Amino acid sequence: MTVSVTVEHRESTPSWLRYTAPLLTGALALLVAAVPLLVLNVNPVEAYLVLFVGTLLSPSGIVNTLVTAVPLFLTGLAVYIPYRAGLWNLGAEGQLFFGAVAGTFVGVNADFSAPVLLGLMFVASGIVGGLYGAIPGYLRAKHDVNEIITSLMLSLAAVSLTHYLVRGPMQGSGGSAATESLPEAALVPTVFSPRLHVGVVLLVVVAACIAVLMNHTSLGFRISFVGANVGAARQSGISEYRTYLVVFVLGGVLAGVAGIVEVAGVYGRLFEGFSPGYGFTAVAVALLGRNGVTRVLAAALFFGLLQTGGSSLAILMDVPTALVDVIVALIILFILTAEFFKTHRIDLRTGRNTDREGVS
Amino acid sequence: MSFVAGIADSTVSLATPLLLAALGEVIAERSGVINLGVEGMMLAGALAGFAAAVVTNSMWLGVLVGLLAGVSLALVHAVLAVSLNADQVVSGIMITILGIGLTTLLGRSWVGQSVSGFEEIAVPGLSRLPIVGQAMFNVTALDYLALALTPIVWYFLTRTNIGAEITAVGEDPEAADTAGVPVFRIRYGCILIGGALAGIAGAQLSVAFTNFWTSEMIAGRGWIAVALVIFGQWRVGSVFLGAYLFAAVDALSFRSGDVGLGSEVFGSRLIADVVDVALDPQVMQVYPYLATVVALWYIMRRGTLEELGAPNSLVETYSRERD
Repeated sequence: MTVSVTVEHRESTPSWLRYTAPLLTGALALLVAAVPLLVLNVNPVEAYLVLFVGTLLSPSGIVNTLVTAVPLFLTGLAVYIPYRAGLWNLGAEGQLFFGAVAGTFVGVNADFSAPVLLGLMFVASGIVGGLYGAIPGYLRAKHDVNEIITSLMLSLAAVSLTHYLVRGPMQGSGGSAATESLPEAALVPTVFSPRLHVGVVLLVVVAACIAVLMNHTSLGFRISFVGANVGAARQSGISEYRTYLVVFVLGGVLAGVAGIVEVAGVYGRLFEGFSPGYGFTAVAVALLGRNGVTRVLAAALFFGLLQTGGSSLAILMDVPTALVDVIVALIILFILTAEFFKTHRIDLRTGRNTDREGVS
Repeated sequence: MSFVAGIADSTVSLATPLLLAALGEVIAERSGVINLGVEGMMLAGALAGFAAAVVTNSMWLGVLVGLLAGVSLALVHAVLAVSLNADQVVSGIMITILGIGLTTLLGRSWVGQSVSGFEEIAVPGLSRLPIVGQAMFNVTALDYLALALTPIVWYFLTRTNIGAEITAVGEDPEAADTAGVPVFRIRYGCILIGGALAGIAGAQLSVAFTNFWTSEMIAGRGWIAVALVIFGQWRVGSVFLGAYLFAAVDALSFRSGDVGLGSEVFGSRLIADVVDVALDPQVMQVYPYLATVVALWYIMRRGTLEELGAPNSLVETYSRERD
């Protein structure tokens, strides 16, 4: 008796698979993530009920999902825009940190009335985030230095330096590893609930702006062209150097703004652990939404839900929020797997007279 | 221990994980597959190895379990990157995120425990040499293992048939396949060896170096190992030198508490302030990261990736189908 496996290329993806694939990948990710939960003696079903149903059914859960989606969406775009040009920005976390540092510095030290001060803080965080993003972009554009590694290294450096700043030069009077609290004028106003800051309109505004930029401007066209085929783009006179620099600066600006939104909208001061790794989850956000800005937004909302549910899980059932990272990574890994099965058919035959040879 | 001797001593211990992980990455990349999951594999190795060492009280068993943890994550990468033609970059990054998440999730109960670690073994005679003697010839078995593996990997890659086949697969998998080289098996093997070495590297850090576990304790060293392969131009000898260079920077930040310099040494107020900031332990943690960026910049100014010796098919997937 023999078992043979044949792998064939599909002409097209069958419709049942196209529609069930996203659900299947999600379900499989949750199934595998249940294993470490069982190791921790946590009932996975209960945990997932808290994570999803509990969050979606409570008003505060929905508010927190929206609020968490803001930095995830902005940093997601910081990864998505370079990705469209064929580059990887793994440094969104560092750009977010330095943006937060710059914005907080302005907010604590400058003395202006509310709208002007907030405006200055956003501009400062955007500029600093953009400049910090420019470094890996420039190195890649000019010298072909691997942007994956440089952006990540600069990110780790920025996080470490921020830790130094909030314990040293920028430390507030409270004695903890945090800056001075921002004055009232430097806080993003809230509506309806004390948690819901008006920064959530950025979800819509930025989505519209970037969608127009990517789909209806020559810059957006150049970015996609370079990403699709550098050689052809170069032939038609598009400078990939400039494009590489631009996508990284744009990404850095958005990530930097994400930093100040978190500080001025959610916490009111900058402290070490103000980001639960938004800049890294952003990679998954961008990958899940790689087919368009609205999908990046949808992915940010989904991961915002996951992050929010993860936080309540940490409080209610004492499960570390790292569970969210596990689920996020598993979802993307299963999507990679699903892509293969969408384009390939696997036949598993058992029998005595199989003359078909197995193909690796 | 004097400051210099302390730096030298830590340099050798800190070079070991970089060297092991980078050697593994050289092997994987020579076969044409980039593995960006090294950081996650090192974390898995560090936690699994530490836990096993605590439970069994055998350090070697810890290293073995660390190796297996690295191999299991590497197997995921191999299946995706080799069999399922998935994007190697995406797969690697996600394995790193998975490794960070899993080890933070499961590692909490191991925080605060410690293991005895490895005894240092002195080489008679040589260990009496000033500075270098203690640093190089009075180290743990794992440090000697890393030192011994360097020429072995070099010989394996450049002087054996399998080494030649690996190079062929990395340069042109289709031609290698036509010539009868088992492309898929070789890539699987290279990725798994890379994962095994990353796992040992992680276990070395927790079991032999710090003797404890903390979450995210690899602190970017896996990524530095990936950078070392580019910096070392995919050559074992240069990677070896690079690992020691970076370990010295790492040791400098690790030993920064020993530094007694400060305002009193320098007359000028401004210089003194700058020096104080530059020598702050928290600031010194940044140096390995910045050194990595500068090193990559330096090496890329010297030529294109191809000129530097990057395998031709690196990052590209290979399948037998025509489409």
